[in-house]
Amino acid sequence: MSHDSHHAPVASKLDLAPERSDLGLIRPDRKTGWADWLTTVDHKKIGIMYGAFAMFFFLVGGLEALAIRTQLARPDNDFVTARMYNQLFTMHGTTMIFLGVMPLSAAFFNFLVPLQIGARDVAFPRLNAFSLWTFVAGAFVLNSSWLFEFGHLAGWFNNFSWYKSLVYTDFAPANGWFSYAPLSGTVGQADAALHAPRFTGVGTDFWIIGIQILGVASLAASFNFICTIINMRAKGMTMMRLPVFTWMTLVTSALIILAFPAITVALIELMFDRQFGANFFNPSAGGQPILWQHLFWIFGHPEVYILVLPAMGIVSEILPTFSGKALFGYPIIVFSGAVIGFLGFAVWSHHMFTTGLGAVPTAAFALLTMAIAVPTGVKIFNWLGTIWGGKIRFTPPMVLALGFIWMFMCGGFSGVMHSSAPADAQQQDSYFVIAHFHYVLLGGVLLGLMAGLYFWFPKIFGRMPNAGVAYLASGLVILGFNLAFGPMHYLGLAGQPRRTHTYHAGNGWETWNFVATIGAFILGIGVFLAFANLVWTAFKGKKCGSDPWDGRTLEWSLSSPVAEYNFAQSPVIAARDAYFEDKHGGRRIAYENDGGEAGVHMPSQSWMPLVAGFGFLMIGLGMPMLSMGVPHIGWLVIAGLTVMFIGIWLWALEGPGGYMLKTPAVGSTPSAPAHQTATTH
Amino acid sequence: MSDVAPSPAFLQEEVRRYHHFITLALWLAAITGVEIVLIFLPVPMALILTVLCLLSAIKFFAVIMWFMHLIYDHRLLFWLFVTGLALAFATFTAVLSLFAVERVDTKWFS
Amino acid sequence: MSQVSEPAHAPTSTGIEHKKLIMWLFLASDCMFFGTLISTHLLYRKLYPTGFTDAEGHQRFIQNLFNIELTSFSTFILLMSSFLMALAVSAMHKGQIKSFRRNVLGVIFFGLIFLGCQVFEFTHFFHQGLTIQNSVFGSTFYVLTGTHGTHVAIGILWLILLYFYSFTGKLGGHVGALDVEVAGLYWHFVDIVWIIIFTAVYLVEYLGPSGFWGTGLPLTK
Repeated sequence: MSHDSHHAPVASKLDLAPERSDLGLIRPDRKTGWADWLTTVDHKKIGIMYGAFAMFFFLVGGLEALAIRTQLARPDNDFVTARMYNQLFTMHGTTMIFLGVMPLSAAFFNFLVPLQIGARDVAFPRLNAFSLWTFVAGAFVLNSSWLFEFGHLAGWFNNFSWYKSLVYTDFAPANGWFSYAPLSGTVGQADAALHAPRFTGVGTDFWIIGIQILGVASLAASFNFICTIINMRAKGMTMMRLPVFTWMTLVTSALIILAFPAITVALIELMFDRQFGANFFNPSAGGQPILWQHLFWIFGHPEVYILVLPAMGIVSEILPTFSGKALFGYPIIVFSGAVIGFLGFAVWSHHMFTTGLGAVPTAAFALLTMAIAVPTGVKIFNWLGTIWGGKIRFTPPMVLALGFIWMFMCGGFSGVMHSSAPADAQQQDSYFVIAHFHYVLLGGVLLGLMAGLYFWFPKIFGRMPNAGVAYLASGLVILGFNLAFGPMHYLGLAGQPRRTHTYHAGNGWETWNFVATIGAFILGIGVFLAFANLVWTAFKGKKCGSDPWDGRTLEWSLSSPVAEYNFAQSPVIAARDAYFEDKHGGRRIAYENDGGEAGVHMPSQSWMPLVAGFGFLMIGLGMPMLSMGVPHIGWLVIAGLTVMFIGIWLWALEGPGGYMLKTPAVGSTPSAPAHQTATTH
Repeated sequence: MSDVAPSPAFLQEEVRRYHHFITLALWLAAITGVEIVLIFLPVPMALILTVLCLLSAIKFFAVIMWFMHLIYDHRLLFWLFVTGLALAFATFTAVLSLFAVERVDTKWFS
Repeated sequence: MSQVSEPAHAPTSTGIEHKKLIMWLFLASDCMFFGTLISTHLLYRKLYPTGFTDAEGHQRFIQNLFNIELTSFSTFILLMSSFLMALAVSAMHKGQIKSFRRNVLGVIFFGLIFLGCQVFEFTHFFHQGLTIQNSVFGSTFYVLTGTHGTHVAIGILWLILLYFYSFTGKLGGHVGALDVEVAGLYWHFVDIVWIIIFTAVYLVEYLGPSGFWGTGLPLTK
């Protein structure tokens, strides 16, 4: 039972002999530097890259937000044109949701889930790399629309015939992050080239294909994580011993695999309308634009929970750690998370109350929406129960996590307000809704994710972020955020409509809009400071031990940064909060003698996920250019499909490979702190 | 090919499954035949529709249980799949009933 | 030909192989995918029961367009391909690679016949005046059945690759059987989606005197 690809165990992958895959190509296992990062299948490195891209796009989306707030700082402003304003708020929403929050959550999934369940990697390491690169391709496609937009504004395309024949020249998406039909679709009969008249330019096509590609990335990652969590738990790690963050990852992944197909199909249908003259949402041929709203929100509402549940999981890890107490009501927190996820599929029409659903559906969706407040409230009371009577340490992650609770709660309250359909009719499309979901998404999700970054950064890089800067940044974020979005409740109820590029003086909106803009800039400075602190920490921060917070879950039992094989020996779990029990309780973690001299199996690195992701990039750039009428560009799409197919095919053919890595002898390993070595054998 | 020869008990089980597959294939063909005849029978439409739905559900579950081995495999797989199936069924039943004909203005187009 | 540390060999928490689990997760997700497509078709049938207008301006009815004999034939072919796929998986479990090849060739052949029927059907409907552009029915019908056809085509491609891969001698043992079984799960799923489409898209058009959706036109067949 041996395989020629398995050499004797090596101490470092650099000691490997060059090894050929089943295809006869040299595997990139020994690469270092850039090539190592491009071919890595290590969930920790993939997680770090997800995090880096997400933080970058957070800043991009933040700049877009600041441009929006600058425009709205005073009435009748002309800082940006109406068209640019539409593009800014569309790209701001899309960027923050799909390129900021989701990948930052994915960064935590990647880095933490295998560590928390006692595994050495995810179930499908190469699929994980594929998810990352496909996400990067989708992000690039979406944002390349800005490049075209600036090219258009700078007059780069003036001499091209395809450019001259364009009816609409908006190159960046301008439909809002929901791209409602028929604005995003077509009207009237298709011409000989199968194009029906449209309302918008190719920006919408960039959005369609970009979201489609990001959907592929999210789906692939979610299949992988569900598989990992269900199938790769260490011995003794029963489902009800899983850390809550891992539980929320499982629920979130389930939501993704069940919600994304609806938007995938809706996007296909919209693409057929725009590219091939189909009539799914074309009103002049009987298409029902309202169908787009239904399909979008069947995806869109679970998406809200996809964004918030990981942050809830993070907070559920941080509060017990800094309260010195076990999480209050663990089973009910897990159950509530699952119920929130399930109910999330039954409330989509509350986004559509004002479309006139009829009395019975409206009442049903209103009641179900109110019902979601119950499990959410249960979680909040459990978090309060966790810190109640605890010895609280106000570290930066704890401050942010506490901020999460009450800011998220404010967002929850206004959410309950517009679950009531008559009230919602007043609030729909006003700044009140903006205030609501920014309290949930910034006050909730952003604070939660920042708390997570400050909590796990010492584990990821072995360096401790500067606490002073962290406190300052947290204060600025919470202050700026409340200044920016608190007044919007009032503005909304006073009638200011959202998605409108300016407003006239004399409506009584001037003061609070100006305050909101000041708040937005304070918030921007705070987020930038927080991120700058983290980036500085990653390279220059003060080194810290492997368990600086007195952590509770398995990842804190490992060295910081974590060795590439994670666990020199597989842990056998005896309790929930396994590591805390190991340190302070009676139930020790045992270790299986499966590492050591025999070595630990490491999966081989591969170029193929990157190649397949590159195919998606070609498709993603080709499709909108096809829509522009650029000659011969269809070949780019065909080439992209071919590259994607070849990437996946060769990936299957090259074989998983793998090599054995020697782990340090027991006792000398930094993965097993001193007090544990006694229990190891 | 295989380095480890399958055990006799396993082979016996495979032979048993083989016979199940053949029986099922015959049933599937027969049910499809019945469906095609059914639609031309002068019987009330509601009855035919009920029977048609029932028959295709039977075919559907027969294929997932036997051809797709759910009856032999871990029960978790069955519940995972049924979760997706049930959610899809419930969601789209709701969508279809939300599109009540009398609430949609279709006069423009026909 | 087996690899010591092949992931499929590693014991899993549930005892289910990773590949099988992820395929079932994908299929659960695909239920929502086809659910969306099928319900799009059905709700437009509900709203517009009268069919479509062709290029000459004639009102056309769906019953007169469909060819139930052809569709029944291709349904039967797809069901039988599913049967052969089950036999191919069974053969792999027994380590009978030759039997696997025979059966999988049958699946590929039947799959191609199904696709051929679909190409014929699309061409026929196109000449009858149904296009993706001229009606909502055309859009939903072509995109729904076309997406299913794309799934069939991907399945055929997958099986062809497995067929040729089996000649390299690397397809065997537990890992090989699992790879074939996972491809089989995909193939069967494509089949059960067609079971639903056959009833929900085709058969209901023949119910009662004027089809389930009620065109007001007696069935002339």
